[in-house]
Amino acid sequence: MNVIEASGLGKRYGSTWALRECTLAIPDGHVVALVGPNGVGKTTLLNLAVGLTAPTVGTVTVLGGTLAGSAAALDGIAFVAQDTPLYKYLSVADMLHLTGNLNRRFDQGYAKARLGELGIPLTRKAGKLSGGQQAQLALTLALGRRPRLLVLDEPMASLDPLARHDFMATVMTAVADDGVSVVLSSHVLAELERVADYFVLLSRGRVQVAGEVDDLLASHRVLTGPAAEADSCAERLCVVHARRGEALAHLLVRTNGSTDPVPPGWESHPVSLEELTLAYLREPGAASLPGPVRAGALPLETGEPTEVSQ
Amino acid sequence: MTIDKGISAAGSRTGASPPGADGGAGSTPTDGSTPTDGSTPTDGARGPASPVDFRLNAASGVPTYLQLVQQVEHGLRLGYLQPGDQLPKVRDVVASLAINPNTVLKAYRELETKGLATGRPGQGTFIQATLSQVALPELTGLRHSLLGWLATADTAGLDEDGIVALFTSALREFGGFRGVAPPGQQGRERREGSDDRRAAASGETEGVA
Amino acid sequence: MTALTMPAQPRQDASLRPVPWRRMAWVTWRQHRLTVAGLVAVLGAASVYLYITGEQLRHQGFVSYGAGPVLSLTAVLFQLIPPLIGAFVGAPALARELEAGTFRFTWTQGFGRARWTVATLAPLALAVTVAAGAFGFLFSWCYGPQIDGKYVLSPLAATTFDLREVAFAAWTLVAFAIGAVAGVLIRRVVPAMFATLVAWSGLAVVTGAFLRRHYEAPLVTSNPNLPNGAWIMSQRWTRGGKPVSLSTVNQVLQKIGATEAAPGHFAQNPAFGQSSARASASTPGNASPAQYLLHHGITQLATYQPASRFWPFQWIEGGWLLALSLLLIAATVWLVRRRAA
Repeated sequence: MNVIEASGLGKRYGSTWALRECTLAIPDGHVVALVGPNGVGKTTLLNLAVGLTAPTVGTVTVLGGTLAGSAAALDGIAFVAQDTPLYKYLSVADMLHLTGNLNRRFDQGYAKARLGELGIPLTRKAGKLSGGQQAQLALTLALGRRPRLLVLDEPMASLDPLARHDFMATVMTAVADDGVSVVLSSHVLAELERVADYFVLLSRGRVQVAGEVDDLLASHRVLTGPAAEADSCAERLCVVHARRGEALAHLLVRTNGSTDPVPPGWESHPVSLEELTLAYLREPGAASLPGPVRAGALPLETGEPTEVSQ
Repeated sequence: MTIDKGISAAGSRTGASPPGADGGAGSTPTDGSTPTDGSTPTDGARGPASPVDFRLNAASGVPTYLQLVQQVEHGLRLGYLQPGDQLPKVRDVVASLAINPNTVLKAYRELETKGLATGRPGQGTFIQATLSQVALPELTGLRHSLLGWLATADTAGLDEDGIVALFTSALREFGGFRGVAPPGQQGRERREGSDDRRAAASGETEGVA
Repeated sequence: MTALTMPAQPRQDASLRPVPWRRMAWVTWRQHRLTVAGLVAVLGAASVYLYITGEQLRHQGFVSYGAGPVLSLTAVLFQLIPPLIGAFVGAPALARELEAGTFRFTWTQGFGRARWTVATLAPLALAVTVAAGAFGFLFSWCYGPQIDGKYVLSPLAATTFDLREVAFAAWTLVAFAIGAVAGVLIRRVVPAMFATLVAWSGLAVVTGAFLRRHYEAPLVTSNPNLPNGAWIMSQRWTRGGKPVSLSTVNQVLQKIGATEAAPGHFAQNPAFGQSSARASASTPGNASPAQYLLHHGITQLATYQPASRFWPFQWIEGGWLLALSLLLIAATVWLVRRRAA
């Protein structure tokens, strides 16, 4: 089951396209990192997925084909927006009561226990909590709904490192306990590398990279070797991005597993998600997308990366 | 080649406490004892505490699941872990390190593949065997010949970094002789690759934020 | 995920019944209890004033016309109540969610945003209508005998018509509805409040000045004595079916030393030593200017609405305001469905 499926999705605000030709099929049971520069359309994509806004073109369905924003979708998806909106003048206990009233199922016991563990007093007004506590409260409210999909929009942007760690620990524990799927967006990749097993890179309003983290890392390598041979090497290989010095060149290539032999005199290194991201961001024409995942889908562009360019 | 010496003999903890898992020496203080009676404060429902508590070094370049595997192997080598000991529950590892549960599962699967651990449904993962020990005289002999080789390399003009680079590339080649590693074992390559990177001239890799 | 130590997936509900409406009762109350308290406080204070005044007036037997100017002042003040309720209760209902960004939380909960809007607006609409209706009845109790009995003013006059019973409740409801739709369109509380005040005032002015007089076809009479409490819309002089100008009338009147200062009002020249008389009331003297004019073939035609039409007009006005309110609230819900982030 695909937890978010988009087909030719686009959203225009006035004359600006915040998102275009977005085609995705995110499988369930994963922790998905949605990454991209600021303003690239991550929030727009998430807003479309949770039904806060409607697409200009294309469609987006969630939880295996349910229309985004419909009652069934609202029931199964919990969303924590950027800056964790809460009613500042309500107490924590009131927020729990409110959320319980607005949803079909809400686990008050779980929520109270979690808040107790975190040391968040039930009588304090939500506006008086620290940033980290507000984020934890918003997360607790979301998880208490026992959703099948948890969507978090830049949840850690304003959190200190300790709060960030606690936040992610809570999310991961929920994944371990309930098998909830998670989609997280961030413009800082480092904090997501440890937790994500599916990766989506948005660049200039389009999906540039999408796939399982393991597959992506297995299918990309950095080849280091003499700069003079870089061009001839590039002709035989699928190079995503190249960096050249006077004598040494680094080519980030896409391979089919580990069957491609390393050219003699060259060294092959594994690549980190961060390197991969930076390389693709620098090469707007390149893309790495999985093949069609359902019959009748539009053929996805598994774009041929550009040749060596520097 | 450093292996994370992150084994701490404390019980597993619950979610909210910060174990300082990010890079460097953030290991929480331990007392070296091995509580077996589940005496940690919130331990009640989970039974006896595991003797192992994992630590993560995010900056080491070693993939997370492999760090966990290495820490278990390290514990076995040093004798902290005995057959029958329980590895921490997935949930507890996830709660204290804030990593993907799949990573822990992958590590435990790797240990199972290596025959070091076994999973008992509904109970957890338990250590099954110890690492094969090389007999002491053999170890001494190996060490002696290694020192000899090192002396030769030094005479040839190889410095420490060069020695490490040469050794790791030869080790990889040797690993290739022993058979192509299955995809799940790509981590071994990556571990050596990261050592390569450390050994190679710095400043060439992309900036790591 | 196959796991070594994970519990089974929670059982999913097969049916997807919507979250019951009554769950929102607490939510709406909790979010708007301060507003409602303010509403009760303001109306309560005004009601206390009305009660005290009403008792005083009854005590005095509604004799003093001195209550006239006081009535006018309080009437002006009370005219402010519906738009203020609309601005303070209606406008923030949705604008606050949109301005603070909490709609990103509330409208992604299971309840659904359209239903949430209805469940927020309906109880508030009911509350303001009932409160305003009670106030309108109290106002009528307080000043009614004076307005309906002594005919200092016509009950249909704009000064007090929309402060009474049905009309007051309807004007408050429509102010609330205007506030709600302004809130969702403008998405900021304070600008929405201003817009509400402006829009409501415009509607009230247009209704009072142009619309209300046409609820039923007005009556025309040449009888100089208009019935008590009639709401006079226009008066003009005619001779033989044709209109006669004011200057012609004054020429005729000069002979008896009177002038027509204003339509229907005559002023006696002080040289003739009589006090002023009004065309619609029976005059003490023989030289009634109106009858004098009649002798000369000049009659006065008055267009008016009789006081007996007070209640029909109240229901007509209440009716169309209610329809407009429902339309505006429906538009608000529709807009909430359409727009969001």
